Amino acid sequence: MSRWFALALILTCSSSSVAAEPGAKPSAAQIEYFENKVRPLLAEHCYSCHGPKKQNAGLRLDNAAGLKAGADNGPVVVPGDPLKSRLMISVRREGDYAMPPKGALPPAAVAVLAEWVKTGAVFPDTQGAVRSVEARDHWAFQPVKLPPVPAIRTSDQIRNPIDSFVLAQLRDSALSQAPIADRRSLIRRAYFDLIGLPPTVAQVEAFEKDSNPLAWERLIDELLASPQYGERWGRLWLDLARYADTKGYVFNQDRNYPYAYTYRDYVVRSFNDDKPYDRFVIEQLAADKLQLGEDTRPLAALGFLTLGRRFLGNTHDIIDDRIDVVTRGLMGLTVGCARCHDHKYDPVPTADYYSLYGVFASTKEPEELPLIGKTERTPQVIAFEKEMEKREAEYEAEITKRHNNAIAKLKDKDAIADYLRAVLDSKGKPNDQLLALLRERDLNRFVFDRWKAYLEKEIKANSPVFKPLIVISAIPERSFASDMAKQISAWEMDSKRAVNPIVLKAMADLKPQTPRAAVEAIAYTIAALPPDKTTTPEQAELFAWNKSSGPLDIPTSDYDKFQNRADRNALAAIKKKLDAFKASSPFAPPRAHVLNDNPAPFQPYIFLRGNQGNRGAQVPRQAPSITAPQRKPFTQGSGRLELAQSIVSPDNPLTARVLVNRVWSGHFGQGLVRTPSDFGTRSDPPTQPELLDWLAVQLVREGWSLKKLHKLIMTSATYQQSSVVSADAFRTDVENKLLSHQNRRRLDFESLRDSFLLVSGKLDLTAGGKPVDLFKAPFSTRRSIYGLIDRTNFPGTMRVFDVANPDQHSPQRFQTTAPQQALFLMNSPFVTEQAIALAARSDVSNAKSNAAKVKALYQMVLARNPTRDELQLAEAFVADNSAKTSFGKWQQLAQILLLSNEFAFVD
Amino acid sequence: MLPVSVSRREMLSRCGVGMGLLGLTQLMGDSGLISAHAHAAESTSPLAPRKPQFPAKAKHVIHLFANGGPSQVDTFDPKPALAKYAGKSLPSTNLRTERRTGAAFPSPYKFKKYGQSGLEVSEIFSNMAEHIDDICVIRSMHADVPNHEPSFLLMNCGEPRLIRPSVGSWVTYGLGTENQNLPGFVSMCPGGYPLQEAQNWQAGFLPGVYAGTYVDSRNTDVEKLIEHIKNKTAPGAAQRKQLDLLAKLNAAHQATRPHDAQLEARIQSFELAYRMQSEASEAFDVSREPKHVLEAYGPGEQARSILLARRLVERGVRFVQISHGPVQPWDSHDDLEVNHRRLAGQVDKAIAALITDLKRLGLFESTLILWGGEFGRTPVVELPTPGSNQGKVNGRDHNHWGFTVWMAGGGVKGGQAIGATDEFGFKAVENPVHVHDLHATMLHLLGFDHEKFTYRYAGRDFRLTDVKGNVVKQVLA
Repeated sequence: MSRWFALALILTCSSSSVAAEPGAKPSAAQIEYFENKVRPLLAEHCYSCHGPKKQNAGLRLDNAAGLKAGADNGPVVVPGDPLKSRLMISVRREGDYAMPPKGALPPAAVAVLAEWVKTGAVFPDTQGAVRSVEARDHWAFQPVKLPPVPAIRTSDQIRNPIDSFVLAQLRDSALSQAPIADRRSLIRRAYFDLIGLPPTVAQVEAFEKDSNPLAWERLIDELLASPQYGERWGRLWLDLARYADTKGYVFNQDRNYPYAYTYRDYVVRSFNDDKPYDRFVIEQLAADKLQLGEDTRPLAALGFLTLGRRFLGNTHDIIDDRIDVVTRGLMGLTVGCARCHDHKYDPVPTADYYSLYGVFASTKEPEELPLIGKTERTPQVIAFEKEMEKREAEYEAEITKRHNNAIAKLKDKDAIADYLRAVLDSKGKPNDQLLALLRERDLNRFVFDRWKAYLEKEIKANSPVFKPLIVISAIPERSFASDMAKQISAWEMDSKRAVNPIVLKAMADLKPQTPRAAVEAIAYTIAALPPDKTTTPEQAELFAWNKSSGPLDIPTSDYDKFQNRADRNALAAIKKKLDAFKASSPFAPPRAHVLNDNPAPFQPYIFLRGNQGNRGAQVPRQAPSITAPQRKPFTQGSGRLELAQSIVSPDNPLTARVLVNRVWSGHFGQGLVRTPSDFGTRSDPPTQPELLDWLAVQLVREGWSLKKLHKLIMTSATYQQSSVVSADAFRTDVENKLLSHQNRRRLDFESLRDSFLLVSGKLDLTAGGKPVDLFKAPFSTRRSIYGLIDRTNFPGTMRVFDVANPDQHSPQRFQTTAPQQALFLMNSPFVTEQAIALAARSDVSNAKSNAAKVKALYQMVLARNPTRDELQLAEAFVADNSAKTSFGKWQQLAQILLLSNEFAFVD
Repeated sequence: MLPVSVSRREMLSRCGVGMGLLGLTQLMGDSGLISAHAHAAESTSPLAPRKPQFPAKAKHVIHLFANGGPSQVDTFDPKPALAKYAGKSLPSTNLRTERRTGAAFPSPYKFKKYGQSGLEVSEIFSNMAEHIDDICVIRSMHADVPNHEPSFLLMNCGEPRLIRPSVGSWVTYGLGTENQNLPGFVSMCPGGYPLQEAQNWQAGFLPGVYAGTYVDSRNTDVEKLIEHIKNKTAPGAAQRKQLDLLAKLNAAHQATRPHDAQLEARIQSFELAYRMQSEASEAFDVSREPKHVLEAYGPGEQARSILLARRLVERGVRFVQISHGPVQPWDSHDDLEVNHRRLAGQVDKAIAALITDLKRLGLFESTLILWGGEFGRTPVVELPTPGSNQGKVNGRDHNHWGFTVWMAGGGVKGGQAIGATDEFGFKAVENPVHVHDLHATMLHLLGFDHEKFTYRYAGRDFRLTDVKGNVVKQVLA
C-alpha cells in the first residue's frame, strides 16, 4: 500500500508542475493567463487533431505531458524562445507545417501563443496527474491481499467461506440465496462443468439415492479424476490460446501446422495432471529453457506462442499477436493498445509494449522442429520416414538443379555485362537509387552485392582483367570513342602489361564507341569458356572469377536469394506437397512447434506511432511496469523465462485474479469480473472484489492447483444453488451480480455435439493425436476437441454456434441464438445420424411396448422417465409410424428429444 | 406464454451476445421495456433490424467486387495521352508497382460519352454506361500496396493484415437485417473462394453471427447454396409435426423456469429456421423470375449472382457481396484486351439490368451499389518475367497509386466523376480518395458516423476506418 501511495505522490508532484521546466512553480498569473487565453485557443484550434482523440504526428496539446513529449520528431516548444519553438513556426506558417491546416490563426491569437511561450510555456496540469494516479490506484493493479472472511450468522447455506462473502453482500440487498438445487440438477451441472458430458440415468439415480454427506465431494473427485476433465477444460484454455491447426492465409506454403495437436494434447494432459498453473504458464512461454529431463513433451507447450495467425508473414504483427495472447490471456491486460501510443486508459506506456516486443523479436522458430515423446518404430513409421527422406532428397535435388541453372544463366556474357555495368553505374548512389536501378534492369541485389565485393577486391589488387573498368568509367561519354582509342593505344604501349593481353586485344578489335560496348568487351571475353584444359597464364587470369569463392560461386544454401518467380513458384509447390504429406500422414512422429532464442537478443526501440521505420528511444526487455513493480531488465537471452516468472510471481497483481475469474466463469457462466481479459480501468469492477482476492490467495496457497480450486468453488452453497430465478431477483438484480441463484447455461457447441454422441452410444473416447474433420461424412465420433480447427476457413457450423474465433485470443464465447443453429440441429446428417443410432440402441429397439420405448428414449437422452403428459404426447406422435422408412417416427422422436431445451441447457 | 416484462438490457446481456453488444442499446436509441415475451426473442436477436445513428437513404448494400483489379484506363478513366506515347516510355518514370513495367500501353478499347452527364465509358461496359447518369465514378481511388492479399483485406475489412470485421459485418452489426428468415450478410463467389477466402467476409472480433454467409453461386441447387437448408429425413409435414411436439415439450420445460429469455430465444430459433427453409429456397431460386427478366440479366454465373443479389435485397438482406470468381479473375497480366472484354461481358448487361430492376421495384434509392476491385492496373505494359506472366507483353501490372470505383443508388449523386488521376492514369492526383475514405463515405450513406461507430474489444474502441478516413461529401446526393 505504502509503495503505491508513494508512487502516486511522486506522480502528482511531477505532473502538477510546469511542463517545460519541471520543478519551477508557475505563478498564479501565469496559470490565469494560460487558462483564460491559451487553453481556449488550443482547444478551439488544435485539439481536434492533437487532443484526446487524435494525436496527429504523435502530438497532444491538451495536457502538460503531451506538450512536453512533443511530436514524433521532437519537442514543439522551447520555453522562453518563441522563435525556436516549432509550434510558433507552424502557426506563423513559416516552416514545414502550416497550422492549423484549414487556415491561419488571427494575428491576435498568434500573439497570445507567442507571449505564452516567451513567459515559459506554463502548462498547469491537474487532469493528467489525476488520471495516471487513478489508473495506478485501480483495484486490479493493487497487490492481492487476503481479505478477512465476513462474519455471518450461522446459516445452513454456509458451506465454505465463498458463501460468507456472497451472503455478506446479499445481506445488504433484499435478496437471499436460492435453495440448494435438487440432486438431478446438481449431478448434471457437475458433469457438464467438469467433463462436458451428461450423466447417465444410472449415475443420476445412484447419486439421488446416495445419502452419504460426502457424496457430492466424492462425485467432484471422481469427475476431476476422469480423463474427460482435461478435454473439457483444455478446450476452454485453447480458446484463450487462439488454438488452430492451420496458419491462415500463407501465400503458396502449406497451411497446416502439422504438429499443432501436440500442443492441444499437452494442454489436455496438463489439466488432467493438475499441473500447477505457475508451471503451466512457465512451460508455455519458455519450456525450451527448462530442464525437462527425459520427457520432452512439454516442449509442445510453446505452441501457446507459435500457433497464431501468420499475417502474411509480417513479423511485427506476429509478435503483436504473441504479446496479446500473453498479456490479455494470462494477465487481463490490454497491452496491444500501446503499440502505437500510450494506453489511453491503463498505465501501459508504449515503452512497455516494445519491452515485450524485444522479448519476442529475440526468438526464432527452427526449421527442423524437435521430435518429442517416444515413437514406436512400427513398419508404418519407418515407411513414412523412408518416404519423407525420398521426398526431401527429391526436393533438394530440384533445388540444386534450379540453382545450377540459375547460376549458368548468370554466367551468360550479357548477364555478366549487366552486373559489371550496374556496379560501375551505381557508384556513389544512395541505397534507394541503387534499388531503383537494379529494379529497372531486372538485376538481383544479392548477386549484385557479390559482384560488387569481388570487383572492389580485384580492382584494389590491380587486376589486369578488371582494373580497366575503372578507367572506362572515368572517360567522359562525349568524347568516349576517341579517348578510349587513345587509352587502348596507351595500354598497348605499356611495357608493364597492366591490362590482360586478351582483354586488350578484344578491346582493340572492337574499338568501343560507348562505355557500354567497352564493358561488354571485357564481359564477353571473360565469359568465353577456356578452349581446353591447358590454359596459358593469361587465360587463367581471365577465368579466375569463375573459380571457387568467385562472385558466382554461390552455395546451394543461398538458392533462395536470387530465385526468379518461376523457380520460386515451382519449388514452393514441391515444398507445399511435401509439407502437406507430412501433415496428413498418420505416421509422422510428433514434434513440437517450438521457438528458441536467437544467439544475440534484440535491443528494442520504441517504434513511434507503431511505425517500424520511425525509431524512438531504446528500451530494455522487461515486464510491463504495472505487473512487476520491482522489475529489472531481462538478462537471460530473450528474457522469456524471466517474463514467465514475473507473470506467475506473487507480486504480479493480475495473474491469479485473472485465472480465478476464468475458473469461476466456467462454473457460473459469468466471471466475478465480466470482462475476463480486460481487468483495466474501463472494465466493470468485480461484483465480489473480496471474494475474488480470497480465491486468488487460496489458489496460490494451494500450489496453483486448479482441481482444488474447482472443488472449493463447487462445494460452496453458492455454486449449488438452484437456478430458478425469483421474481425479486429478476426485478432487482437481473444480471445476477449478487449471485442469488445459479445461472442456467446453454451447452456450448462441443458439449452439445459430444452429448449427442454419448447418448446415441457412438462416442469414441480415444484421446489425443492428429485432428479429425468433424464435418465430413462419415462423421467422426471423437470428442469435439479433437476436431480440426482450420482458421482460414473456419467451419460455418462452428461459427454459428459461437465457437471461439481462432484468429486471435478469445476472452469469452459469445452466446447468440440464431436460426442457423436450429438448421444444423434439424437438418444436418450428423444430427439425424445420432437420432437414428439412438433409436436403434437396444434399450429402445428391444422394448416391448411403445410406452417402454418412449421411456427408454427419455432415460437415455434426459436421464429421467417421461411424465404422464410427455408419455401421452410421444405415444400419439409415434402412433402412425410406418416402420418402412429409415427415419420413421421413432427416429423423429429421438431427434426431438435431442433438440429439446432440456437437453441443451444446464439448470 | 408468460406475461412478464423483460428489459432490453437483460435481453442483450443474456440472449444477445453479452458485453460487446450492449453498445447497441445506444445505437437503438431506446431502453424501454418489451412487454411480450414472445416478441422478445425477435427483438433481441443480434440480427433484429436497428436504426442507424442518423436517418439515411441507403438501407442495403450490393458490393460488386471485381476481384483481381480491373484497369481504370480501360473502363472508366479514359487517357488519350497514352496513345501519344504508345510503345514508348512515359515522360515520367513509372511508379513502382509489383512487377517491372515498360512502355505506355494505350487502351485497346474505344470510349464514348453517355447520358446527360457525358461521362466517358469504355465500350466493354456499354450497357452499364446507359445508366451513367445514376452512377458516381470515383477516379482518384488509391490504396497502400500493389499486392493482392493486403489489398483484398484493405478493401473488404479496412485493414491489410490484422483481424478486423469486414464491411458487411460492420453494417450488419449496426443495422441488423430486415428478414430474419434469410442470412443478413451474403457473400457470393461463383466457382470457389476469392483470394484470402473467408477473411473477406470475416466477423473478426464481432460475434460470428455477423460474418458473411458464403454462397457458391455457381450452384443452382439451394441445398448447395446454404448449409443444412433442406431436410432430407422428415421433410414437410413430418417436420412440422416434429417441431410442434418439440414446441410443446419446450413449453412445459419453460413453464417451471421463468424469467429466462434464452429459453424463449432458442424456441423461436426453430420456428425461424423452419421458415428459413422455404423462404431461402424461394429466394435463391432465380428460375422463378419471368423470362424477360432472366433475359435482361443475360446468361452466366455472374449474371445469375447479380440477379440473386437483387432477389435477396428485395427480401430484406442487408449486405450482398459478389466476387467475380475464384481467386482474382480481373488480374490481367497477360492478354488484357481479351480478358477484360470477357470479364466485363460477363457482368455488363446484368449490372445494367440490376439498376433498371431496382428502380422498377423502388429499391434503387435504398440500395447502395459499389463496383470496383482492390486496386487498378498500370497504364504501362508489364514486362516479361518468368513465372510472373506469359511474356506476351500485352497486359498490365497491379496499380494501387490510382484506380476507379463507382457507386450508385442509396444517397449517391449520379452522373459525376470525382477526382482524377494524372495525365496517364497512373496516380490519383486530384481529390485523392483512399479506401478508408470510401468506407467512411459508405457508412455515412448508411447513416453512421464512421468515427462514432465503434466496438470495444481488447481495451480499444475499434472502427472500420481505424483512425483514418474522411467522408467524400461530393458523393452525397
